[in-house]
Amino acid sequence: MTKTYELEVKIIKWVLIIMCGLIAVTFFIFKNPKPWALGYAFGSLIGILNFIHLGKTIERAVTMNPGRAQSYTSSRYMLRYLTTGVVIAISLRADHLNGMAVIIGLLLVKFVIFSTQVFNSKEYFKRIFKRREDD
Amino acid sequence: MDGTDLIKACSAIGAGLAMIAGIGPGIGQGYAAGKGAEGVGRQPEAQGDIVRTMLLGAAVAETTGIYGLIVALILLFANPFLPR
Repeated sequence: MTKTYELEVKIIKWVLIIMCGLIAVTFFIFKNPKPWALGYAFGSLIGILNFIHLGKTIERAVTMNPGRAQSYTSSRYMLRYLTTGVVIAISLRADHLNGMAVIIGLLLVKFVIFSTQVFNSKEYFKRIFKRREDD
Repeated sequence: MDGTDLIKACSAIGAGLAMIAGIGPGIGQGYAAGKGAEGVGRQPEAQGDIVRTMLLGAAVAETTGIYGLIVALILLFANPFLPR
């Protein structure tokens, strides 16, 4: 099992945990929670699929020559963009899916990446208002 | 032509303009992948690190494109400016 695969699995696990949490919360907040719950599930699962597709694209792109990698990655991005567009359009048209929930679900992968991989250092937040000259 | 038609026409133009936001991440991801491939060619043992960093960066870079797409599709299918 490579480190890249482990990272993907870790992020997907976090997305699924947050998705389950959000779905559980909707049952306490809304009178009709079904469209929200379905929206979260639909959006999150499509977001995870897009993330897996991105991982496979990049793993393959780095083995190509640079020019071909560039066109390959851009074309695959357009494919994912089309998928996302179809998903959002369906969610806005369909009555049994909440559009806002689908959008939040789609962006959940990005939220998890920001919170677990980018802004994950407590030391950074402790030192955020300290000047380097004061040390 | 009444006000509703004007709103619909302007919304369609706005949706088209918002879709321009989707082009940037595609170009950026392609450029990053090209440079990543160059890096792997220069230093093959660093392939894992390069792929992981690119994966996180590319996933975050896609967000702006999705925002543009959301704005465009809301203007087309769930226009907030049209009377209900």
